[in-house]
Amino acid sequence: MSGDGRPPRIELRGVERIYDRGAADEVRALRGIDLTVGPGETVSIEGPSGCGKTSLLNLIGLLDTPTRGEVRWDDRPVGERTDRERARLRLERVGFIFQRFYLLPTLTARENVELPMRALGLGRGERRDRATALLTEVGLRGRERAFPHQLSGGEEQRVAVARALGNRPGLLLADEPTGELDLANTEAILTLLEKVRADRGASLLVVTHNPSVARRARRHLAIQDGRIVGDVREA
Amino acid sequence: MRLFGSGGHLRHQRLQTVLTIAAIATAVALPVVLLGVGGGVSSHELSNLQNAGYQIVISAAGLHGIANAHRLTGQLLALPEVAAASPVLSIAVDAFPPGKGAVPSLAEGVIPDQFAPTLGPTEDGLFPQPLPLGDPTDLVHYDNGTYAGPATYDVLVSSPFAQAYHLAVGSTLGLAPVPNATEAVPYSVTGVFGVPLGTLGQTGAFALLLPLSDLQVMTGYARGAGTPVVDAADSVEVAAAGAVSTEPGALAALQRQIQAMVPYYTVSTLSQQAAQLQTAASVLTGFYLALSSVGLTVGLVFLALVLLRRVESDRRSIGIRRALGLPPRAVVGPVVAEGLAIAAIGAVAGIVGGIALVDGLAAWGSGAVQEAADLAIFVPATMAELAGAVVVLALVAGGLAARSALRLDLLEALR
Repeated sequence: MSGDGRPPRIELRGVERIYDRGAADEVRALRGIDLTVGPGETVSIEGPSGCGKTSLLNLIGLLDTPTRGEVRWDDRPVGERTDRERARLRLERVGFIFQRFYLLPTLTARENVELPMRALGLGRGERRDRATALLTEVGLRGRERAFPHQLSGGEEQRVAVARALGNRPGLLLADEPTGELDLANTEAILTLLEKVRADRGASLLVVTHNPSVARRARRHLAIQDGRIVGDVREA
Repeated sequence: MRLFGSGGHLRHQRLQTVLTIAAIATAVALPVVLLGVGGGVSSHELSNLQNAGYQIVISAAGLHGIANAHRLTGQLLALPEVAAASPVLSIAVDAFPPGKGAVPSLAEGVIPDQFAPTLGPTEDGLFPQPLPLGDPTDLVHYDNGTYAGPATYDVLVSSPFAQAYHLAVGSTLGLAPVPNATEAVPYSVTGVFGVPLGTLGQTGAFALLLPLSDLQVMTGYARGAGTPVVDAADSVEVAAAGAVSTEPGALAALQRQIQAMVPYYTVSTLSQQAAQLQTAASVLTGFYLALSSVGLTVGLVFLALVLLRRVESDRRSIGIRRALGLPPRAVVGPVVAEGLAIAAIGAVAGIVGGIALVDGLAAWGSGAVQEAADLAIFVPATMAELAGAVVVLALVAGGLAARSALRLDLLEALR
């Protein structure tokens, strides 16, 4: 068994996301977002801190729902799906690389990588083989049994990358995936993500401040104050 | 999935967990002790009833007892369905072994040749036969209620008593109704009798057997005006003759016949007493279980609070699992598993602790507590039911915590 690795077609129409709506300190994170991401696209998302990049990823990755407007996956409004269906889509089709890694502290590096595969029902042997291969690809061979508190920030980030790829997702969402990495590891991770995209036609949306990361994308979104202020496609 | 692994909840919140385990263990130990001891005592009493050598008991409480014992015995023995009628007249007296002070003892006044037929299988062989009490019918001394005949001043002592005070056949033992040596009457020890297994405590084990009329003279109205002690008659045990003893209908007819003779006394068969005892035991068991359910509820509340706190402290981990799209079972499984583990540890500790407590009381307790603890019975099925109840409660507590975990706002949890 494996994830449903089909890259989704994603559309956002008139999307707004307001946190603490009605409160004195309500935050309008996204305003009037219209965006379509086709299967297999590579998109970089850039913008200053607090401009709404992570909020946008959360909506696209089905972690959140818009306050107004509509998010569609494969032409079906996400709002029509139940929590359980959205969770299943995340498990099968989305690989998240969170800015803060979000590794489970009580699990080893390998167990963290295996966690989504286990939920998907993969056998023990296949889980182990896949996790070992992924950890090797991100340069963590020999660190499989380390707990997160025994890893450096860069190592944690690489475990998070390996975990995101475990179920062979069709959509990879990466929030500053190389923020803690040195140059060599940054190149290795970017090469790995590029390979995944090329091999399986996965879509890749990357939030980054790193120009070398952004350069790898074919489409560049710029966000400011919750609005898309630039959308450039390379020829 | 690691439950107690590095950084696990049990490490971080050890005190809470230990307190919860202690609460559950206490809640489980309570019914273990109550049901074990209560069941054991009831079972012992039931066994005594089932093994008795008589079938009908006439309860003749208080003042009527000794004064009427001979007359009533004579009337009963006149019935062809009655093989023996033995008054059981018990009272605490003070014994004065040679060179010793007063020793509280349980004296039973009996009519020797009526007492022997009412002994049950468990008492078989414990008493010398015939009873060496000099006046087999007790009628010589009694002399139609005048007590003008010669007393035997014979007494039998229990083997623990004889052993403790180095008494043997031929020893002299002073007996008095009060702890005053000047009132003691010298008796001659004419025999020693064994004590059935499970006899309750020192008072029961330090027993004396003497002629009914002697006990009457020593303690009751026969002492004359100004006597400080009233009679302590309590019952007459009736052994039915032949098939009547085993045929319920015939036994019931005899019971009615005796009741007609003594309308102000309670006449009951041992099977009725056994049924009453079992009913009383059931009521007590229900009460114990109700009491225990309060304790278990407290344990459940503790457990639910700990698990809810666990959800609160692990909200990030729960959020991560949900963000990854893990199914609810994988999200809340660790919480429920921890609840079950805590409950299981508490249940085992409670059962083991309860049994150990009762064993300790039986070994080192004193008085009635020790006697009751010594009779305790621990039924495996009851222990299993208790453990099952704890598991169900743990699932309820885990369910509450799981519900809370699944209702957490996902993005809030990840923050």
